[in-house]
Amino acid sequence: MQENYLAKWLNNELSPEELEAFKASPEYSSYLKLADISSQLEAPAFDAEQAFLDNVKRRAAQEPKVIRLKPYRTLWKVAAAIAVIFAMSLGYVSTLTERVNTQYAERSEIQLPDNSEVILNAGSKLTYHKKKWASDRRVTLKGEAFFKVAKGATFSVDTESGIVQVLGTQFNVEQRPNFFEVSCYEGLVSVTYEDKEYKLPAGSSFIIMDGSMITDTVPVNTQPSWVLNESSFKSIPLAFVLDELKRQYDIRIETENIDLSQKFTGTFSNTSLDLALQSISTPAQISYTLEGNKVLFYAKEIP
Amino acid sequence: MDNVCEEQVYSELFKTNSKTVFNSIYYKFGNEEKAYDVVQEAFIKLWENCQKVSPEKAAGYVYTVANNLYLNIIKAEKVRLKYTDKKPGQTHESPEFLMEEKEYKDKLDRALNSLPENQRITFLLNRIDGKKYAEIAEMEGVSIKAIEKRMHLALKTLREQIDGI
Repeated sequence: MQENYLAKWLNNELSPEELEAFKASPEYSSYLKLADISSQLEAPAFDAEQAFLDNVKRRAAQEPKVIRLKPYRTLWKVAAAIAVIFAMSLGYVSTLTERVNTQYAERSEIQLPDNSEVILNAGSKLTYHKKKWASDRRVTLKGEAFFKVAKGATFSVDTESGIVQVLGTQFNVEQRPNFFEVSCYEGLVSVTYEDKEYKLPAGSSFIIMDGSMITDTVPVNTQPSWVLNESSFKSIPLAFVLDELKRQYDIRIETENIDLSQKFTGTFSNTSLDLALQSISTPAQISYTLEGNKVLFYAKEIP
Repeated sequence: MDNVCEEQVYSELFKTNSKTVFNSIYYKFGNEEKAYDVVQEAFIKLWENCQKVSPEKAAGYVYTVANNLYLNIIKAEKVRLKYTDKKPGQTHESPEFLMEEKEYKDKLDRALNSLPENQRITFLLNRIDGKKYAEIAEMEGVSIKAIEKRMHLALKTLREQIDGI
């Protein structure tokens, strides 16, 4: 008899001879009965239709986990891919354009590719193209910066108010809302303002304030005062002075009954706020209170 | 290609396979309620992973999950099976014969309960669910020959038990 013949028999796989021999054995009738009776056995009732309805309910209870997560998962993948591409392209662009930003109460010194130096005052932004530098010495400025330009081809400073061009010199450019000032400390600077070109020799400065032009003098072969941690003004409306104070110390400024158009001539420290506040309030004959990060200027009571 | 995530495909899979899964787990458990929960849970797992499981693999997947669930829930619990007989229907048998048959079935129940688990499942899937050896082999993840061996041993042991050898 072959291996596992009982299983083979139940499956009708025995050869006629084997079947004959098995039928002749004394256990045969017992096996026949076992096969017969066991085929009448039944498992508990299981209604697949009913169970499926139950399954729909049970899945609904799990829904947020199942259905909603999946599209988001793909969405996240897409978002991640986009982010990576974006970051890469941003990285590529940023290799072309260098950006330097200074926050309020912050200053930055930048060395340009040709060793020209730039000192960036508070609340300013300077961008330039590193790769194109050899053929085009050009920076874009928002805010105020002092330039010491190495001798060479034309050096341009593009601002919203005008373009400043030099060959090799030291000069300061300040471009703020309604205020544009270029001061030349050495050499010769050319300023293009509203399609007109102005030549600025050493020791002179050029101010456009609220649309009107003022020319002034500056000491030759020096540096703007802010480089030495002082902000200097000569007949400048108080509003601009207070704006500069705000930039240098990153404070909030409020005024009460003050004539902001009154002209201010003087200097304030960029390192000591107390000193700076006194330097402004005393000549302007106003009072102030300092509370945390907030300064209130108000009219001095006449005794 | 059809996707298990499609309600139609999923529903078809459920309706064709749930009873077999239920029975096979019941043959192990001997507990209807737990077997039912295992079936539901296994199919919910299939739904959760519907992107990863192809329709061809789905039945095997559900069976494996159900088996693992069963193993997790209960291993030591003593199996107590009670098989309801098919409806007698019209019968011309004598009361003596019916008595004798009833006695025989009680003996069979007891003998089945004392069978090793894998032999009992193999035997019942074949006798009750009419599964071919090849189908059982696929469900259990073993060779057809191993199933034949289990079947052979199950028949041998059951007969010996019933005949009181």
